Amino acid sequence: MSKELIELKNISKSYDGQLVLDDLNLVIHENEFLTLLGPSGCGKTTTLRIIGGFETPDQGQVIFDGQDITSLAPNKRQLNTVFQKYALFTHMDIAENIAFGLRIKNKTDQYIRDKISYALKLVNLEGFEHRMPDSLSGGQQQRIAIARAIVNEPKVLLLDEPLGALDLKLRQDMQYELIRLKKELGITFIYVTHDQEEALTMSDHIVVMNQGYIQQEGTPEDIYNEPENAFVADFIGDSNIITAVMVRDELVRILDVEFPCVDKGFGNEKPVDVVIRPEDVELVKRGEGRIPGVVTHIIFKGVHYEMEVQAGGFEWLVHSTREFPVGTEVDIRVDPFNIQVMNKPASEDEQAIGVEE
Amino acid sequence: MNNRIRPIEKIYMAVIFLFMYAPIVTLIVLSFNRSKSRSKWGGFTMQWYLNLIHDHEVLNAMANTLIIALIATVVSTLIGTAASVAMTGMKRRMRSLIIGVTNIPMINADIVTGISLMLLFKVLHFDAGFVTVLIAHITFDIPFVMLSVLPRLKTISPSVYEAALDLGAEPFFAFRKTILPDLAPAIISGALMAFTMSIDDFIITYFTKGSGFDTLSTKIYSEVKRGIRPEIYALSAIIFVAVLILLFASDRMKARSARRTGVVKKGMNAKLKTYGAVAGIAVASILIIAMALVYGGVFSKNSDQVFVYNAGEYIDPEVIELFQEETGIEVVYDEFESNEIMYAKIASDGAAYDVLCPSDYMIAKLIDNDMLMKLDRSAIPNAYEYIGKQYYESATAFDPANEYAVPYCWGTVGILYNRNLVNGPVDSWDILWDPAYKGEILMQDSIRDAFMVALARRGYSINTTDPAEIDTATADLIAQAPLVQAYVIDQVRDKMIGNEAALGVIYSGEAIYTKRENADLEYVIPKEGSNVWIDAWVISREARNAENALKWIDFLCRPDIALMNFEYITYSTPNIAAQEMIEDEEIRNSAVAFPDEETLNRCDTYISLGEEGDRLYNEAWKKVKSAD
Ligand SMILES: Nc1ncnc2c1ncn2[C@@H]1O[C@H](COP(=O)(O)OP(=O)(O)O)[C@@H](O)[C@H]1O
Ligand SMILES: [Mg+2]
Repeated sequence: MSKELIELKNISKSYDGQLVLDDLNLVIHENEFLTLLGPSGCGKTTTLRIIGGFETPDQGQVIFDGQDITSLAPNKRQLNTVFQKYALFTHMDIAENIAFGLRIKNKTDQYIRDKISYALKLVNLEGFEHRMPDSLSGGQQQRIAIARAIVNEPKVLLLDEPLGALDLKLRQDMQYELIRLKKELGITFIYVTHDQEEALTMSDHIVVMNQGYIQQEGTPEDIYNEPENAFVADFIGDSNIITAVMVRDELVRILDVEFPCVDKGFGNEKPVDVVIRPEDVELVKRGEGRIPGVVTHIIFKGVHYEMEVQAGGFEWLVHSTREFPVGTEVDIRVDPFNIQVMNKPASEDEQAIGVEE
Repeated sequence: MNNRIRPIEKIYMAVIFLFMYAPIVTLIVLSFNRSKSRSKWGGFTMQWYLNLIHDHEVLNAMANTLIIALIATVVSTLIGTAASVAMTGMKRRMRSLIIGVTNIPMINADIVTGISLMLLFKVLHFDAGFVTVLIAHITFDIPFVMLSVLPRLKTISPSVYEAALDLGAEPFFAFRKTILPDLAPAIISGALMAFTMSIDDFIITYFTKGSGFDTLSTKIYSEVKRGIRPEIYALSAIIFVAVLILLFASDRMKARSARRTGVVKKGMNAKLKTYGAVAGIAVASILIIAMALVYGGVFSKNSDQVFVYNAGEYIDPEVIELFQEETGIEVVYDEFESNEIMYAKIASDGAAYDVLCPSDYMIAKLIDNDMLMKLDRSAIPNAYEYIGKQYYESATAFDPANEYAVPYCWGTVGILYNRNLVNGPVDSWDILWDPAYKGEILMQDSIRDAFMVALARRGYSINTTDPAEIDTATADLIAQAPLVQAYVIDQVRDKMIGNEAALGVIYSGEAIYTKRENADLEYVIPKEGSNVWIDAWVISREARNAENALKWIDFLCRPDIALMNFEYITYSTPNIAAQEMIEDEEIRNSAVAFPDEETLNRCDTYISLGEEGDRLYNEAWKKVKSAD
C-alpha cells in the first residue's frame, strides 16, 4: 500500500445538539480513489467539508501529510473541492473561472494561459474560454468546475456528488471521464456519493457510512461480496437477508433447514443474519434442492429475469437467466460459499434500511 | 380574454391618478407662475428657480440635506450590508429576531422615533445639531439597506464564496469577488433607498436638529407661517423630481438584481449604468455643496454668535448678512411656525435662543412666566431714538413698564374688499353679515380674529371674558356662517387677488401686498374698532449671548435697516425715521400701512385671556365651526 496522506482521528461533529459524526476514524492513502458512500444525511458532506476546512470538528484531528491541519483555513490547504452545485463564478467567463486560483498565486500570464488550455483539453471543452458559465449545460459546468480545481495541482481533489445533478447517460460518461482524469493526474480523489453503483464502478476504496458511523471499509469487491452487516448488504444491492441460527462452524440453519457454509467462529446455536445475493440463489426442480417453493412474480430485466419465490415462509429475490413462469414449483439451492453469515445488528445504524426491531 | 379596459375602470383609474397627482401638478405649475398669487396665472417664469441659487439659507439647507444624506447613506449602507452578511452565519431564530428588532424603527411612527432619539440625545448630553441629525438618519436608514440586501443575499449560494476560499482566496477577497458582484445591485438599491429616505425625512430631523441647523424639509416647514414663497414651490418641485428619480433608479436596481445577467456585454453595460447613476448623484451633490460653500459659507464657524428665533419670512435675508459683516457676529437664525411652538421651545430650553420675536399676547405670557430678560437701555440707543413713542405706549398692554420688548412690526386687522364687487364704501363690520354677499365673504380661521370681528361689531371689548358677551358673539358667528365662503388664513390674500371673493378679513401687511397685485382691492379698518397687533424683540432670560442679542436689536432699529425690512416684509414698521425714508409716496402716506392716530385709538391689542377665558373661547369656537 502507498503512503498515508490524510488521517481523520476521532472526529465528532454535531449541529444544534444533534450528533452528525461520532468518533470517526479514517485513513486515506496517496493516489487512492476513495469514496464515501451512504444514504442522504449520513454525514458524508460534513466529513468532506471537515477535510476541506469549511467546518471545524467539535473533537478530533485532521492530519495532512503528517501535519495537524484541523484549524487551518481552507484557502491555506493543499486540496481543492468540486462542489455539489458546481459553484462557478457566474459573472466571470470560463477562462477567468479557471484562472481564479492561479491569479491568487501570482502565476505569470503565459503559465495561466497554458494551464487553461491544458485543463480545457483535459475535460474535453477546448475553445470554451470566453463563454459565460450560464451558457453551458450542467455536464459542461461540472467539467469546468473540475478544470478550475485541478489547474491548481492539488494533492487531493474533493468531489461532493459531482454527478448528482446529471442525467443517467451523462452520468455514466462522466464516471469514465473521472476515472481517466484520476489516472492522468495521479492524485488522490475523495469522492462522495449515495449511489452504490457509482461507488463500485469508480473507487479503489469504499467507505460505507450510516448515521455518522463507518459501517465497513474495503475494496468494491470486499464490500459487495462480504458485507459485514445487514445495512451494508442491503445498501450495496438488493439481497436476501434472513434471520438464521449458526448451528456450529460451517453449518447454518436457515428457515429450519440446515445449509453447509464456509463461515466459522460464530459459536454454537448462535442467532445470526445471512445474506444471499439474488444471483446466488439457484432454482432447481422439485426434490433437487433444499427448500421447496413457488414462483409468485417474474419481471424481465434485460440481462436476467427477476423473480420472487415463496419458500419456507420467506419471499426470496432471485436473479436468473432462465425463465420460471409464475406458479412453477421449484426448490431452492445455495452453494456454501455464497452464504454470507453476519452478526446480528449491534445498533440501529447497522440494521438493514427500513427494518424496525 | 378581453384585455380592453372598460370605461368605468378607466374613469376609476383617472380619478385615482387625479387625486394622487393633482397636488403635485399644482405645485409644479405654481413654481413657474410669475404671479405670487396662488389663484392667478401671471405668465411663465423661471425666476423662482433662479432665486434659489442666490438664496443662501436655502442653499445652506440644501447642502446640509445632501451632506447628511450622503454620509448617512454611506455609513448605513456599510453597516446594513455588513450586518446582513453577518446574519447569514446565524441560527435561524436569532436571525429573525434581529430582523424584527431592526425593522422596528421602520414600522414605528416617525414621530415616536424622532422623540425617542431626541430624548436619548438629551440624556447623553449631545448638542442637538448636525451630528445628532446624522446619527438619527443613519439609524433609520439601516433597515432600508437591510431590507434590500437580505432577500438578495438569501438567493446567493454560499458555495460560490467557499469555492473562492477553496481556490486560495483570503476571506475578504473571496467575498469581494463572489458575493459582492451579485449583491451590488441590491446594495445600490438599498443605498438609493436610504438616500431617498434621508432627503425625504422631516419629522425625525425636526426633533433631532436643535437650533440653528436646518435641512430642506425643516426649512420649508419653517416658512409656512406667512404663506409660502414661490421659491419654495420651486424647491419642492425639485425635491419631488429628485426623489422620483431616486425611487425609480432604486426600483430599476432591484429589478436588475432579481434578473441575472447572462452575457458579458450586458453585464458590463448594467454595471456601467449603475456606476453612472451613483456617480451622477455624487457629482450633483458635490456641486450643490460646493455652491453652498461659495455662496453661503456653510462651514464658517464663529465663537461669537447670536441665536435668533424669528417667525418665518420675517426679515430681509440681506439684513442678516449686513449684521454679520458689520459686527463679525455670526447669526444662527431659526424660524418658528407659530407663537405657540416658539413658546414650547423656549419653555423646554431657555438657552436655545438668545433673541426672539413673539407677538404681543405671547410676550405677556413670557413675562408672566419670568422667561425674559430686562433690556439694558444703554445698549440699544437706536431703539429709543427711532421707534415711535406711541408704539411703546401700545406695548404697555403686554409690557407695562416697557422693560422687555422693542416693537418690530405692527399692523391692524381689517376688511379687504373688491371695489367692483361691493356697493359703496365699506366702513363697518356689519357688511360681513349682509346677505347680499352670501358666499363672497372670507373669514380668518383663527379663534381670536374671528371673535374679534364679532365682538368689535357689538361694541364689546375684543378681550372680553364675559360669558354673556361671548355667547352673543358665538350666536352672531353661527348666524353668519351660511354667508361665509370659507374660513381660511393665507388664502384670503390669494382669493382676493384672484377676484374669487368680495370681502375678506385680513392683516394690514397683507393688504399692502394684495393692492400691488390687484388694484381693485381696498383695505379698511371698520369704525367699530379692531385689533392692532405688535410683534416685538425680546431676550430670553437664559440667553447665553445677551450682549450680542442687544446688538442685534439695536441694529434692527437703525432706520436704514428698518427700511430694508419694511420693504421686504411689507408689515408696518414702528420706526419713525424709517417711515419718513420710504420713497414710494403712496405707501409712505398709506392709511393702510400707517393709519392715523384717531383710527389707532379705536384699536386694541390682544391680551392674554387666562385659562378660563381660553376655555370659553375654545368651546364657543367649536360650536361655530360645527355650524359652519
Ligand atoms: N450547517 C448545518 N446546520 C445544521 N445541520 C446540518 C448542517 N449541515 C448538515 N447538517 C445535518 O447533518 C446531517 C448530515 O449532513 P450531511 O453531512 O450533509 O449529509 P450527507 O452529505 O451524507 O447527505 C444531516 O442531518 C444534516 O441535516
Ligand atoms: Mg451531501
